[in-house]
Amino acid sequence: MTPASSVLLLTTLTGFGYGLLAWLGVFCAFGLLPASPWFMPIAVIIALAFASGGLLASTLHLGRPERAWRAFSQWRSSWLSREGVASILTYPPALAFAGLWFFAGPHTIPTRAAGLLAAVMGLGTVYCTAMIYASLKPIRQWNNKHTAPDYLIFALFSGAMLLAALLGLWRALDAVACVVAAVAALSAAIAKLAYWRFIDAQTPLTTLASATGLAAFGTVRPLDQPHFTENYILREMGYRIARKHAAKLRRIVLAIAFALPALLALIAALGILPILTAPLAVIFAGIGLFIERWLFFAEATHVSTIYYGRAV
Amino acid sequence: MTSLPQPIGGAKKLGLVIDLDTCVGCHACAVNCKEWNTGGHHAPLPDYDKYGSEPDGVWFNRIHSYEAEGKADGCGGRTVNFPRSCLHCEQPECVTVCPTGASYKRAEDGIVLINTDICIGCKLCSWACPYGAREFDEDAGVMKKCTLCIDRIYNTTLPEAEREPACVATCPSRARHFGDFADPDSDVSKLVASRGGVDLMPELGYKPVNKYLPPRRATIPTRATEVPVRVGTGLGSALLTLVDRVLSR
Repeated sequence: MTPASSVLLLTTLTGFGYGLLAWLGVFCAFGLLPASPWFMPIAVIIALAFASGGLLASTLHLGRPERAWRAFSQWRSSWLSREGVASILTYPPALAFAGLWFFAGPHTIPTRAAGLLAAVMGLGTVYCTAMIYASLKPIRQWNNKHTAPDYLIFALFSGAMLLAALLGLWRALDAVACVVAAVAALSAAIAKLAYWRFIDAQTPLTTLASATGLAAFGTVRPLDQPHFTENYILREMGYRIARKHAAKLRRIVLAIAFALPALLALIAALGILPILTAPLAVIFAGIGLFIERWLFFAEATHVSTIYYGRAV
Repeated sequence: MTSLPQPIGGAKKLGLVIDLDTCVGCHACAVNCKEWNTGGHHAPLPDYDKYGSEPDGVWFNRIHSYEAEGKADGCGGRTVNFPRSCLHCEQPECVTVCPTGASYKRAEDGIVLINTDICIGCKLCSWACPYGAREFDEDAGVMKKCTLCIDRIYNTTLPEAEREPACVATCPSRARHFGDFADPDSDVSKLVASRGGVDLMPELGYKPVNKYLPPRRATIPTRATEVPVRVGTGLGSALLTLVDRVLSR
């Protein structure tokens, strides 16, 4: 599948935003955040800014962005529509969380309840995003049991990094947030390695013989192409990445997205320049996850390209 | 609504039968489809870089050509021309993934259509289609697809004999047939039954309506090979072997 930067931005930025929102809710429930009345309004605005930025970026890949509002209507059948509805439904509890923190205080029951509700809604939106990909049968690298948990794990990882950076800049970073971030990075790396192992071992979805209904005639191979230049199907779904480049990019992802941020989070946990190391960790995580998401698309093959003799 | 319609009693199941035995790969279906549809329901079907080195455009039919080899049936390897278009599936996930309701399946005849007035151009439907049937109109920013010539088959201003899809009407080798698969006595149903029509990629579960008729098995009578009788060596026996061969013809 051809990686479109708008969709890469959507999935990574909403991961950071909703991941941060989720950890804010959880940390607040356990009373682990600085009690300043301004902390939560600022943190929630940062979380919603990331999420909204991602959602707005996604409209850039629409052919008719002015009609985007119509996407809220088909939540009964479409995960894309559910993503849109869930993203809108996340704003009220998130804003209520910030408001209650500011006006009622950080440790009241309603504040904690609103925080947990915002966390659930944010992660629910991430789940809907993941299911858009996980529900597509023609793409074996997406339509499997890894996709949805992976998106949630990556959102929690990027959110934990963002929270550590925020606390670092707030001069309130403690070991708990750093260790959470480092453990999340380790979990995300394990999840990604398991995913790569899984897709490398997958068998093709179908054969050209089955796709052409000629299975009874033995093996089928392409003879003449229907057209000499590309068409929409090949441009959109026929993206090919050399195996050696993919292998190199996977190593880069492991280093930049997971290893470096984990290392920096642990350095911050030791109290070494948290104001610098924690934000640096989130920058590496962002760049690394963008490459990871690019690979998620580039390595995915669409079964329709089998008609053009491509490996699926 | 992009939820699939509830089945209604007596509903038609319109679609095509494509005969891979008689298709000659002439691309006439693709051309006539483009000709009709660039002025029809989904008009226009744009072309990009028309006179340049990389021409490209929206077409609802793509005619591939394959070579099938392996199971001997007298011919050995064979060339099969393979027209590919929307199969108007009974489980069209291109419809259910649509976030706006632009993509829909008609309850009364099963035709899968797009309302291009409300399509937002997210392309998700084309990702959900395993057959590569949908093509995006880069100019209008909306998705387009085969309409089964809905503006021909119900068009009362056309003579009744012409109320069939453009691809069917134009096929010079009668390799395309249009009809109602819900009726077991229709020509298409009988054709599928008698020729063993198949689904494409049935394992994916989309339940395509269009059926493909596999090429007929060639039955060229082959003579049993006779082992020439040869007794002894030398010129005399070689001559006798030759006489045996000639007389055996």
